[in-house]
Amino acid sequence: MARGRKKVPEASLMLTSMMDMFTIILCFLLKSYSSEGTLLTNADNLVLPNSASKKKPQEVNLQVAVSPDMVLVDNKPVTPTEDVKRIPQEQSDPEVPKLKEALQKAYAQEEEMVRLGALNRVEGKVVIQVDKNMSFDVLYKVMNTCGKVGYNAMNFAVMGREE
Amino acid sequence: MKVGGGKRIAAPDQDMKPFMNLLVVLVPMLLLSAEFAKIAIIDLKLPENRGSQTNTAVTAQPDEDKSNKLLLTAIITDSVVTLGAKGGFLPSIFYKEYHKYVAKDDNTEFTVEYKPNDKVKHPKSGREMSVHERYDIFLYSTDENRNIIKTLYNKYSEMLTDLEGNPVAQVKAGDTVYALSNPRRVVVVRDPAEFELRPMSAYDEMKNRLMKVKERFREAQPEDFDDIIIAAENEVLYDKIVQIMDAARGAEYPNISIAKLRS
Repeated sequence: MARGRKKVPEASLMLTSMMDMFTIILCFLLKSYSSEGTLLTNADNLVLPNSASKKKPQEVNLQVAVSPDMVLVDNKPVTPTEDVKRIPQEQSDPEVPKLKEALQKAYAQEEEMVRLGALNRVEGKVVIQVDKNMSFDVLYKVMNTCGKVGYNAMNFAVMGREE
Repeated sequence: MKVGGGKRIAAPDQDMKPFMNLLVVLVPMLLLSAEFAKIAIIDLKLPENRGSQTNTAVTAQPDEDKSNKLLLTAIITDSVVTLGAKGGFLPSIFYKEYHKYVAKDDNTEFTVEYKPNDKVKHPKSGREMSVHERYDIFLYSTDENRNIIKTLYNKYSEMLTDLEGNPVAQVKAGDTVYALSNPRRVVVVRDPAEFELRPMSAYDEMKNRLMKVKERFREAQPEDFDDIIIAAENEVLYDKIVQIMDAARGAEYPNISIAKLRS
């Protein structure tokens, strides 16, 4: 190219400031990406309700998801939601047997971690993701089961409303 | 600075192109994924001494004389939202349910009144809508004759109330009203056309009443000043419960527990 050979300095793009900007944006995005991205995974066809809550999910130990067809503990299917619905409503203290089993297993694991010194204490934290079209009945049974096993610190996962 | 001299010093050329390419690819990708994570959580602060969280005993007799506990309870059934405490109940808020759908295929938005056992059809194609396309559930307050009550909202979708906290349906220039934020914000009406008459949301009225209760008990300071129990019937959808929780947290009742109404 003939132009490059000329003595007169060529008009070039000032890339430096743009690079600065990009680098800052990149750092910022990387930071926000890693702290939010993987904490909660959405189960398929599970639509979370919208809420005005702004609280970000913290470190969580256990996830219970109630999708329209399955109840999942840490993304592993445990029992069909239909079975949960079938548990008689009149029962004053309803529990979901298979869910209880899975939760107890997780709880035992947590206790083991405490024994080994990996955790300070059993926190009993659980994040419950429930489909927004689920009836209260199912929610109640699931919550009751969680509470009985010892998971008392319950959080509901919701979708932040876009403002 | 010496650099500012008349001579041009040729800067050693660095080839920035590869790095720029990298940035141009990385930034959009990260932007997309960052926007994607909008999940938040609602913290339930369940009373510790109860062990299992589920307090079934709302309709059962709560122990009398348990000091000065308020036992504030928001009750939601399939046609009524109401607020109760140890002393009694506030008048119920009757509601009609409207569902907003957003169609998956062509993004048509429409709102229909919910009738049980009624299939919702797409307004154009007549296709049956699935429950997953239901985007929002609105509860519009009604009077005893099932007529929807309309009230004024400002452009931020905040309900307007008067000084006592009653919803206002009419304003004229120069009036002083309060927007339902927390704490209530004074709004002096300049142009009544700024406000819009809309069906009164039962959630907003709930929040309004909760704030009034909060105000009334600020002096008395009951032990459970920040606590609220949300009691629901079996068939109530989870979505409504979350909205009621939002109203409760908006009115400074962060300690939410859940109970079941015996049907």
